[in-house]
Amino acid sequence: MALKKTSPFLLSLLAAAALTGLTTVSAQAQGVLRIGMTASDIPLTTGQTDQGGEGMRFMGYTVYDGLINWDLSKFDKPSVLTPGLATSWGVDATDKTKWTFTLREGVKFHDGSEFTADAVVWNLDKLLKKDVPQFDPRQSAQGLSRIPAVASYKVTGKYSVEVITKTPDATLPYQIAWVMMSSPAQWEKLGKSWDEFAKTPSGTGPWKLTAFVPRERAELSPNAAYWDKARVPKLDKIVLLPLPEPNARVAALRSGQVDWIEAPAPDAVASLKQAGLTIVTNAYPHNWTWHLSRAEGSPWNDIRVRKAANLAIDRMGLKELLGGLMIPAEGFMPPGNQWFGNPTFKVKYDLAEAKKLMKEAGYGPDKPLKTKALISPSGSGQMLPLPMNEFVQQSLAEIGIQIDFEVVEWNQLINIWRAGAKSESARGGTSINFTYFVQDPFTGLIRHLQCNLVAPNGTNWGHYCDPEMDKLFNDVRNTFDAKEQDKVLQKIHEKYVNEALFLMVTHDVNARAMSPKVKGFVQAQNWFQDFSPITMAK
Amino acid sequence: MLIYTLKRLLYVLPVAFGVSVVCFLLVHITPGDPLTAVMPIDASAEQQAAMRAAYGFDKPLPVQYVIWLGKVMIGDLGTSIASGRSVLTEVSRAVSNTLILSAVATAIGFFFGCLFGFVAGYYRGSAVDRIASALSVLGVSVPHYWLGMVLVIVFSVQLNWLPATGAGPGGSADWTWNWEHIRHLILPAITMSVIPMGVIARTIRALVAEILSQEFVQALAAKGMTDRGIFRHVVKNTAPTALAVMGLQLGYLLGGSILIETVFSWPGTGFLLNAAIFQRDLPLLQGTILVLAMFFVLLNLLVDVLQTALDPRIQRA
Amino acid sequence: MAVGALDGKIAIAPIQVSEGYWRGVVRRISRDPVAMIALVIIVALVLMAIFAPYLAPADPVRGSMLRRLRPVGTPGYPLGADELGRDMLSRLIFGARLSLFMGVTPVLAAFVIGSGLGICAGYIGGKLNTMIMRTIDIFYAFPSVLLAVALSGALGAGLTNALVSLTIVFIPPITRVAESVTTQVRNRDYVEAARASGAGGFTIVRVHVLGNVLSPIFVYATSLISVSMILASGLSFLGLGVRPPEPEWGLMLNTLRTAIYVNPLVAALPGVMIFITSISFNLFSDGLRTAMDVRQ
Repeated sequence: MALKKTSPFLLSLLAAAALTGLTTVSAQAQGVLRIGMTASDIPLTTGQTDQGGEGMRFMGYTVYDGLINWDLSKFDKPSVLTPGLATSWGVDATDKTKWTFTLREGVKFHDGSEFTADAVVWNLDKLLKKDVPQFDPRQSAQGLSRIPAVASYKVTGKYSVEVITKTPDATLPYQIAWVMMSSPAQWEKLGKSWDEFAKTPSGTGPWKLTAFVPRERAELSPNAAYWDKARVPKLDKIVLLPLPEPNARVAALRSGQVDWIEAPAPDAVASLKQAGLTIVTNAYPHNWTWHLSRAEGSPWNDIRVRKAANLAIDRMGLKELLGGLMIPAEGFMPPGNQWFGNPTFKVKYDLAEAKKLMKEAGYGPDKPLKTKALISPSGSGQMLPLPMNEFVQQSLAEIGIQIDFEVVEWNQLINIWRAGAKSESARGGTSINFTYFVQDPFTGLIRHLQCNLVAPNGTNWGHYCDPEMDKLFNDVRNTFDAKEQDKVLQKIHEKYVNEALFLMVTHDVNARAMSPKVKGFVQAQNWFQDFSPITMAK
Repeated sequence: MLIYTLKRLLYVLPVAFGVSVVCFLLVHITPGDPLTAVMPIDASAEQQAAMRAAYGFDKPLPVQYVIWLGKVMIGDLGTSIASGRSVLTEVSRAVSNTLILSAVATAIGFFFGCLFGFVAGYYRGSAVDRIASALSVLGVSVPHYWLGMVLVIVFSVQLNWLPATGAGPGGSADWTWNWEHIRHLILPAITMSVIPMGVIARTIRALVAEILSQEFVQALAAKGMTDRGIFRHVVKNTAPTALAVMGLQLGYLLGGSILIETVFSWPGTGFLLNAAIFQRDLPLLQGTILVLAMFFVLLNLLVDVLQTALDPRIQRA
Repeated sequence: MAVGALDGKIAIAPIQVSEGYWRGVVRRISRDPVAMIALVIIVALVLMAIFAPYLAPADPVRGSMLRRLRPVGTPGYPLGADELGRDMLSRLIFGARLSLFMGVTPVLAAFVIGSGLGICAGYIGGKLNTMIMRTIDIFYAFPSVLLAVALSGALGAGLTNALVSLTIVFIPPITRVAESVTTQVRNRDYVEAARASGAGGFTIVRVHVLGNVLSPIFVYATSLISVSMILASGLSFLGLGVRPPEPEWGLMLNTLRTAIYVNPLVAALPGVMIFITSISFNLFSDGLRTAMDVRQ
């Protein structure tokens, strides 16, 4: 412990610090970027990360690659899939459940071992096969629900893998993009221990994890040998600091403790701008909603109550609360999205209509509807959960829906979300405030509402089941033509909105605040971002 | 003296035992199944039973307690559910950070507490006494987490002199006693020092006043003993109590740092407790509380023994 | 920890309640200006809590985003508006209800339970004393903030759980004081004399022990109210006490924290209320102790 240090030692340390300071000035031409994250801990470092989308952003696509990656180089249009560790993939012309992935040759993990088809199978096994030694319950808990289509897989050559899906599923590439490839050789070398692997992980990504203090800090250094030369990082180092408290992040940025913060508190935006800091925003496929329970006894089974709740929310007032940093919801997908379609139920603020609907449903001022909602004080993409939920609570109280909150920590909320509305861990909550990644058909739409995806098979939290919806989902999976697939997805979204299946509140604009010294950052319309082109001005 | 120390040691054992029982039971007063958080979501019924057996939850409570205690004795506090890391590692890192903070805070509080207490007691009833007493009442009455917020508003937000959060530019891992790190310590330490300052000042004031009113001191003064002599007498007689109060205050700060650490994001035990509570990370909660409580029990013992050694007037059975 | 009254060694001497004692106490305390000011403030706070619906200019729970974080002195919002556009003055007034309730209830409950335990232990003595006091020692071995946080952390957030946790925190010190005072009284001449004159155990307890013992315990308990106020609001501040949207000062401080960059004055107000309440209880308790001549 530091208390023991004697003063001569202290002096020599000071001298050493001064010297390294001098040398680093010349060596660190491109600088160090220090980022304040919203997570309360460093995300899981072994491959499949925890801490939601933010975990994948900072510890997933940085240290690791998927077979398929996201193209994060454009800020002006929705991002699309791009080859990662697989150079190409495709479904069999006759058997629509059989997919072939051709792998990139000559890719090395950070530990120097080679990436081959064996590694792909090994990594899928770590998530799916409980009886193999590398099965990791922690990663499996994160990754299992991402790839529900996968039935089996095998090596068909040193650089080719075959994946068989349970049923024909055109959304497989989106699912596969979630799976991060960890190094089997490193895991073997560290005594087959994921705990050890977590300390010195090895992937193929553009960044290597070089230092790691749990709960406090992680350092990423460039992988100079990255296979995509265009994405070899220019910075010398990224330092990740968990700062879950919004005030702490703002204070840290303003006092120069960090150069970049995720999700600045809306209240602080004006003062940050005044202090000469940059606020970066962009639309992205995000949805802040209350996922409603459709289990027996839930008041949300009544469509009139669902519609009334959607009409009771003053979204412009909420925008005021968020300093303008939001896009009011008009449906489940953000307005203008390619899958938005043309729903007949207009999501807007109409108290009179909402009260009328509540009356029809049998509620009134003397007979309020009382129910419980699960919320978390922080979390990836959750914006400002406490005041926002309190705002929703207030809005709903106007039409006689009295909400009692059960407040739990974000990771715990994720666990409750996975366990489903009927589980004991939901503690009787009939809705859960969650932020959804609505970037691809499966994670955006299908996984929330398909009958067979209730816990433990998936994340249909509310136990919703409608054969008509299931048929539409099936059509998406069987439509391998992109344009046609979009049309089916529009129909699905129309059904989402017309039946008010969620409490549709708002979409985030992905705000981050940074020092003007941060150069070269391109904010993609995506949950994930590319840190490779960034440099730090002096 | 030796016999007293031994007796005191023997007395600590049942207390430590009781404390361990309370910590053990904490997990069992928690509503719901403590395992739901650890269990994989898709665990089958057999897996759940296996898990229950692995954690020993299938055995009767006293048996579970003995097994748990056995592990604790060899330093195995279990594994954190949220991070998958050993609780002992997490707690020991956090304890050293909290120790830095609370030791500095106690030192500041001790210095100003003694100063105010002496002045007030010496000039009892004067204006100086009133001011010093008022300050010490403020110290014990102010909600310190609020004071922390106010200090952040003034010194970090308005003046931008001192950082508002964290334990230094590189986290606590490379903590050194240089300005870069000490800057981060100033606001939380001052906030924290307010309570020991108030408590110590009140204690010292009463003590000094009492000693000065003793007949023999007044007699000595009447006989022309110098102020310096009287002062020395007072110091000699207040020191043991002052030190004892300081020791106890250090213990209270170690155990009660949660509010301050939350306000300042200081990566110590309080911060850890906060995380453990909201993540329902029961092994971590249990381990942290056990370590802190044991620390406090031992510190109490140490203070008692030292006080007896320093102050032979205290007669103990 | 918050707080002087709880720590260190507590040794309080019993008092002897004689004829005219209470008149003397009232006379003495009414001449203590500091204690009287503190008392006036406490009474005002209690009245404010009771008559909150008549005093508050607006609804403490309903707000409007358009008025959020209005500064102090805005027309119609004398103390500004909070992060959801609710009138701060009304919320502070209503906040007195829960905050005082959370501060006073645990001390009252602990006073009843702790005195009972302590007097039993002190008067009956022997094995019962050992049993009660050793159990109390175990809880005394936890720093009070830690015990409160651990208990309410394990029990889960909520008003009831917070009250239970705080009561458990205050039982050990009160029991200790009660036990030590009772033991001292038991050996006093007048109790011995009563016993010698053939008075029954119950009568002795009722006439002598309760009269002379409860007063000092009561004085001690009043000094704990300020501690309890700070601890209770601290639990709410951590998210372990009252839940939104209830107005409670500690919780208000918590939810207003993001506003310290926009409107620091409004964000600091709930803390001022906690401070005023806590210091008034402390000063009044000090005055009461002097007036009742309870020696520590």
